[in-house]
Amino acid sequence: MRRPLYVYRYKLLQLALLLCVTGVCVGAPSVSGTVTGPDGKAVADAVVFVQAPVPPAAKAPAGQIVDQIDKTFVPGLLPIVVGTSVRFPNHDQIHHHVYSFSPTKTFELPLYKGEEAPAVLFDKVGVVKIGCNIHDWMAGIILVLPTAHFAVTDAAGRFVLEDLAAGTYTLAAWHALSKLKPEDTAQSVEVGRDAANVTFKLPLAAARPRPAMHGSRAEP
Amino acid sequence: MRAWWNGLGLRNRVFLAFAGLILAVLLATLGFTQLVVGRDARQTLSRDLRTTGQVFATLLQERATRLQTNASLLASDFALKRVFATHFDRANYDAETLASAGLSYRERSGVQLVWMTDESGTLLAASPANGRLGKSLAGFSPVSQALQSESPAQAVVEIDGALFQMVAVPVYGPDVIGFLVLGQAIDDRVASRLHEDTHSEVTFLTSSRVFASSWPGSRRTDLPSAVTQLSTLLASSAPRDPALLAVGRERFLSLALPIRAQMTEPLYALVQGSYDAALAPLRSLQTRIALIGTVGLAGALLIGILLAGGITGPVRTLVGAMREVLRGNLRHRATIDRSDELGFLARSFNEMVAGLEDRERIKDTFGRFVSRDVAEAVLGGRVPLDGERREVTILFQDIRGFTAMSAKLDPTALLRVLNRFFTEVVAAVEAEGGVVKQFTGDGVMALFGVPQIRADHSARAVSAALGIVERLARLNESLLSEGLAPVKIGIGIDAGEVVAGLIGPDARVEYGVVGEPVNLASRIESLTKDLATTILVSRQIGARLGPEFVLGRSARLPVKGRTQPVEVVEVLARRDRCSTIVPPGG
Repeated sequence: MRRPLYVYRYKLLQLALLLCVTGVCVGAPSVSGTVTGPDGKAVADAVVFVQAPVPPAAKAPAGQIVDQIDKTFVPGLLPIVVGTSVRFPNHDQIHHHVYSFSPTKTFELPLYKGEEAPAVLFDKVGVVKIGCNIHDWMAGIILVLPTAHFAVTDAAGRFVLEDLAAGTYTLAAWHALSKLKPEDTAQSVEVGRDAANVTFKLPLAAARPRPAMHGSRAEP
Repeated sequence: MRAWWNGLGLRNRVFLAFAGLILAVLLATLGFTQLVVGRDARQTLSRDLRTTGQVFATLLQERATRLQTNASLLASDFALKRVFATHFDRANYDAETLASAGLSYRERSGVQLVWMTDESGTLLAASPANGRLGKSLAGFSPVSQALQSESPAQAVVEIDGALFQMVAVPVYGPDVIGFLVLGQAIDDRVASRLHEDTHSEVTFLTSSRVFASSWPGSRRTDLPSAVTQLSTLLASSAPRDPALLAVGRERFLSLALPIRAQMTEPLYALVQGSYDAALAPLRSLQTRIALIGTVGLAGALLIGILLAGGITGPVRTLVGAMREVLRGNLRHRATIDRSDELGFLARSFNEMVAGLEDRERIKDTFGRFVSRDVAEAVLGGRVPLDGERREVTILFQDIRGFTAMSAKLDPTALLRVLNRFFTEVVAAVEAEGGVVKQFTGDGVMALFGVPQIRADHSARAVSAALGIVERLARLNESLLSEGLAPVKIGIGIDAGEVVAGLIGPDARVEYGVVGEPVNLASRIESLTKDLATTILVSRQIGARLGPEFVLGRSARLPVKGRTQPVEVVEVLARRDRCSTIVPPGG
């Protein structure tokens, strides 16, 4: 399904930042690499993050947004650092009823429109699966990470972790279909003057069928 | 060879033919209806059974769809999802709420079973409660299929000895957080509903046990077990086709339809329809045909009797009339008053008999005036009307001393004696084929050789003369015993050519002969008195006679009306009957 370009605006913003960091702001050490499936194929939308050492709690991270556009959560996957508040604005013409039964964060935003819903604070590390009570096909994931050092792989499965001070880090990878827990994917990496390179190979489960999406924006 | 039915009367034959025809048509009709209607009934019943199978399959499918729809609707209930999600937090897991929700949903959706499992298939709650709580249903259909596909699945399964149609649907929150399982029983009510809709008996069973049936409880016990019937069906050469099974006294066309089920033994629906009930219209039809046939047969009997009677009655009358006529009763007439061929036959017969009677009467009357031979010859047209020349022998007989006799007796007694005498004479003449031409008061003139031609007419005439003498001897004996005087006679015989024919005017014609020998025979007779003998013949006859005749004296005597004397010979007897010695005349 083709999504409108503005759906990708945050990705574009990230890319711009990445270009700025790697190309313009040369000098900070970084870790780059790829995530592949068991067959060596690139895996997109995997999250690679620094599992250890966990940096001391910094000032409250900036708030994040999971939008609801055309009866879809945007973005579908939102990695955040623990302690982040997320708002769920609804840009559809209809009501949504956002909920999560995940033990990491159970919450419910009963039927609302626009910016009415309050922000939700994610104060526990883990996976939070969100859904809409009245639209069975709407599903999204908020991945609450212990650190702000994370990156999402692109379509080629590539990722870059910027702004790491020189030292030894433990990196882990997560994917929605991964059969491994993130801690079981942990790899140690030495970050120095030269750029380090890491490859994660994740065994993936087959994609599960989901309730089909019905209707469109024009036909709410 | 003579066929046996030729011995039967016409009436019986007509009846047998009618009855045979009707019986054949009747039997053929009965056989044909049996064949056609029987086959048709079986086909209809088979189609009904297959329809029942289709109705059942549709029913199962509809139930499954409805069950799945209900389950999906229930599973999307947010409250249910929330309750389901409590199991994520073991500390706050609310099993009781889940179980009571199960009971509520059971009533809400009208199903018999509500089970809830977590996302791995472990049973969280069940209504009604069972011993599987906390156990994994991952290997239990349809949960196993739903687990594998994370989409709705259904199956027919056995649970605690009962048959259930089960459906399992995933509960999304928004990923699969568990499965909702609903079950609806396939029980006697389902079978009874099928029975009401299709009129076929339905039994759900495996080869070892019966789960549900539409048969009434009372019949289930006294019938051969459905399991036995099923094994009979499955063992048959075509287990997919309906077969006839006896259930009690009734025959049922039975069909075993396999049902897809997740069970150790294959499950079947045994569908049965009464073959005898299906044949009931045929039985009624056959009864009516038999009734019509019987009426027809009775009708044939009646028609046979009337028709055959109408033909054979007159024929029998005619046959009876013929017998009467054969017996000599020419007065009998066939009394048949009809205008058809039989009437014509009877009229013709009567005319023919009337003709015969006329002829006989003429002959009879005629015979009293002329001799029977003459009468027959005249009636037979053998006498030429214009006369003919014939060689004949003429016999003249005369009573000697008749004048004296008539003076002595009174007329009645005289006639009685004369008639007794002439009876003997006629008998003797006719015994030799002669014809008594005329009675001359006390004498007789007889002809031999006319009207029937006889070569030995002279010998016959002489034999007749001897016969007269012989009979006269016996008559005289009786006359003597009665105290009467014996009769004495003389006989003269001559032969020669005469003219024979009908003599006299048209109104009173008579058969007669004319010629010299007639006169001569008369003269010879008158000579017997002179010679004191009884039988005298002309010399020419004497010469012609064979050695069997005993001749006596010869004489040459003058006679009246002739210039030449006549030579005569005396006949005494026949050698083969020597007892006949002619007594001397006089």
